[in-house]
Amino acid sequence: MDEDVAVAGTVSRGERDPDEARRFLIGLGRGAAGALIFGVPMLMTMELWFLGFYIERYRLLLLLIANIPLLILLAHRVGFEETFTWREAIRDATIAYGIALVMSALVLTLFGSIRPDMLLMEVLGKIAIQAVPASIGALLGRSQLGGELDKSEQQDEENKGSEVSTGYGRELFMMAVGALFLSLNVAPTEEIILIAFKMTPWHAIALLVLSIVLMHGFVYAVAFRGTHELTKETPGWHAFIRFTLPGYVVAIAISLYVLWTFGRLDDVAFGQILTFAIVLGFPASIGAAAARLIL
Amino acid sequence: MTTTSKNRHTETQQPHWIEWMTGAVSAVLILGMVAWIAGEALVQEVTAPSFRSQVRAITVVEGGHRVEFEISNQGTTTAAAVVVRAEIMEAGRPAETAEVTFDYVPGNSKANGGVIFAQDPAGREIRLRAIGYTDP
Repeated sequence: MDEDVAVAGTVSRGERDPDEARRFLIGLGRGAAGALIFGVPMLMTMELWFLGFYIERYRLLLLLIANIPLLILLAHRVGFEETFTWREAIRDATIAYGIALVMSALVLTLFGSIRPDMLLMEVLGKIAIQAVPASIGALLGRSQLGGELDKSEQQDEENKGSEVSTGYGRELFMMAVGALFLSLNVAPTEEIILIAFKMTPWHAIALLVLSIVLMHGFVYAVAFRGTHELTKETPGWHAFIRFTLPGYVVAIAISLYVLWTFGRLDDVAFGQILTFAIVLGFPASIGAAAARLIL
Repeated sequence: MTTTSKNRHTETQQPHWIEWMTGAVSAVLILGMVAWIAGEALVQEVTAPSFRSQVRAITVVEGGHRVEFEISNQGTTTAAAVVVRAEIMEAGRPAETAEVTFDYVPGNSKANGGVIFAQDPAGREIRLRAIGYTDP
């Protein structure tokens, strides 16, 4: 089990065979595909183009910087636990970020959303903001979409009996990634605040309850592939307290962060902020639950 | 801790106390959110949007004088498409009028905007008034 087995489509140190270059290119292709699959909904949202030039620069900077450890942790998680080193995780994260920047620039140029006569600041802002979800996509594309081409199938066979332990913090982190991803997709649209304005407080509470029930149901009740099971002796409410409730708080926290980044919370009353967070928390919590199943 | 084996995840039987602790804190936070919203719904009287505007800064810009202002919605209901008319008053009559529309002014919240006058409003009264809105 050396490292080039672990990392689909990347060049390893040491001896290189001609396949390595090809595998690396295929890895890049998968990354680009992932960036598109995850990024296209956002690339085609006009609010995000506008955000590119009016988003406060320090908030954009914070988002871009926060994305780096997120990608590294994610790269480390989706690689094979035992053989995947931090060094490789950092390399994969960097490549994913790079692919995302290139793909965002390419697609935005095709859409005529960025043109040479625009201010550099505006162009960079537009690309940078799109690169965040696209980079998550690129990373997942490189790992989740691939696998068959190299020796990982055989690797899977070998791994069949082994178990991977996920730390509690890591579990919450996965939920945060899922929440961030889905909330980034919808947060910039006007619909989020419009929905919040249309809702009464009772609607908001009902949506909060529904989000939590869905989260719990997704992970424990509905038998998806990757569903979590409880040992027979553990009552269901244990997982509810230990995972679902913290997961929802994570989803709400991510929602608040994303809304703040996009300037939706400025000068807004606290009660309204809560309602915004609950509305955005709905997709975020679904994303968080899905991340626990998929990742 | 969760143990993953070929896409089967089983939660461990003996969780660390931190997991319970996080769960408890989360439960408190979520109940707090519900309590706040329910509290507002029960205690707060629903009032229609009512606006107050205030000039924040006047600056000379290309082609005129920019008046930046803040509009606050004192009601609990959110107003959409709020049209604000700004007038420079001279001897009780408007000497110049400008208008701007805000997409939303949420209940109990503020929004910022600006109008651009051709004349210099210095020394004269600027009257800011919301003249209409829709329900979102």
